[in-house]
Amino acid sequence: MTDTRLIHTVGVGALEWLWAHRDGFRLEPDADPEVGFLERFKPVGELALVCKVLFREGVAGSRQAELARRLLDHVWRDTLDGGTMLVRGQRTEPASPIPFEVYLPFRELGYSQPEVERAAALNHRLDSWAALETTPTRRLGLSAFERRFGLTPRPPEPEALRATWLARTPEPWTVEGHIAYDITHCVFHLTDWGENPGGLPGDIAGYLATWLPVWIDDWLDLRRWDLLGELLVVDACLPRPTLDEPAWTAFAAAQQPDGAMPAVRAMPEGDEEAVFDVVYHSTLVAAFASVLATSRALTELARAS
Amino acid sequence: MEQSGTSTRLQAAVQGLASGVVSALRGGDHPHVVPAGDGAEAGDLALAAVRVLGADALLPGLVRPTPPDPAEVAVFRKAVEAYPPRPDAAPTVRWSHWGMTRALRRLDPSFLPGPSAEPDTGWLEGAGWQYLTHQLAVLAPLAVPGEECAVSALAARRPVDVARGFVRAVRRRDWRQAAGAGRWLTLLPGVPDTVGLEAGLDFVELMGGQDPLVVLQVQAARAARTGAPV
Repeated sequence: MTDTRLIHTVGVGALEWLWAHRDGFRLEPDADPEVGFLERFKPVGELALVCKVLFREGVAGSRQAELARRLLDHVWRDTLDGGTMLVRGQRTEPASPIPFEVYLPFRELGYSQPEVERAAALNHRLDSWAALETTPTRRLGLSAFERRFGLTPRPPEPEALRATWLARTPEPWTVEGHIAYDITHCVFHLTDWGENPGGLPGDIAGYLATWLPVWIDDWLDLRRWDLLGELLVVDACLPRPTLDEPAWTAFAAAQQPDGAMPAVRAMPEGDEEAVFDVVYHSTLVAAFASVLATSRALTELARAS
Repeated sequence: MEQSGTSTRLQAAVQGLASGVVSALRGGDHPHVVPAGDGAEAGDLALAAVRVLGADALLPGLVRPTPPDPAEVAVFRKAVEAYPPRPDAAPTVRWSHWGMTRALRRLDPSFLPGPSAEPDTGWLEGAGWQYLTHQLAVLAPLAVPGEECAVSALAARRPVDVARGFVRAVRRRDWRQAAGAGRWLTLLPGVPDTVGLEAGLDFVELMGGQDPLVVLQVQAARAARTGAPV
């Protein structure tokens, strides 16, 4: 098993980088309508989800927990302008689920914006929302978020799950990058982003326990750190995580001295914003994988003692 | 340059020999799988090719109801005798040679000298699934239904690991390794159903079928799946 300290250190570095580059979490109110104002909300929502995991697992050091809280306050107050930007996004694209998806983890962490909540409740009544054409994995995520918000999921999660790639446990040798991301996100939604590993149905957990080591081996070899990080999150969600030592050792070695995690192979060149846009996700994933794997490693230690 | 030329000619001879085995396994009209060459260099090349292909050079003779051509068996025997493993040979080389002697004893009752003792499998004990699968794929000629040995016993204890290695090889487009691993999987108990082996072997053939060595393994796997008599 991998040294818990090494796993933990990856997350500490990642959070330091995210804090130092917090201005990278920015919206573009004057975005080209073809791109859409909501396009840049995704990183903010992902940050909130990961910070929530960090608080919940309780394995972060005090510095890490403080940085996570300050980051959340920063993006809520500055980037989202206290939630006003979510309202603005909702008014720009009333039927879009994105403001709701970004809002949910903030709400769970105690932030509040009543108008976004009213819009979510209204949208939930619309057949249009239930009929929204998305990928099956995203549909599953929307149903899970509706449940977490206190709404009746439409469609119910078991029905949404059936349409996903992972639910059918297909031939593992057909997995390529896009399918791999569908797999990881399906697991995130089934487990409430690692909060509830028991949410993985037994057949899917067994399938992943068998084949995940192959995919980890493969994307480690390709040095695709972003995807590898997500696969390490999936490992930490399994009933018996492997905390794969070669993968974690290489993942930690790929991390930059300032805590940034390259997305693919080495760090990109470019100005600060361009670099942020390429590596913020892999760095967030590094923090996410680190906190879940650290928590699981400590659980294993407690069980062994 | 000369070395390289020899190597290229040997590769071509191995490919040609593998094509002949494939054709014979398919029931095609290819009477002489193992070339019965008498000429000096051509003969040496043919023997070397037989040694590279190992026991699979006689596979049609083992899975077909009709006995093989005695001339083919004689060439095979010459190859067995011409290339004994050196004392410092790699374990796969020793096992490959052992597999040839096992095949020869089945088809040539006059061949008495041993494979008395099997080589050991110590180098695979505790091996990671990646290395295990790679080595087993090299030793795919040992994957013959009903023929047990220490290597097949070891493989039978690790069906999930070999299945992982198969998936890894397919992902890496290493068709020879994938085909060899797939051939082993057809024989092992406890292989996870989700690996999708039958379609997987078809996929390997579709993608890597220009290489006769790949097709040979796929054909051997199919023969094993359908329970062809050995």
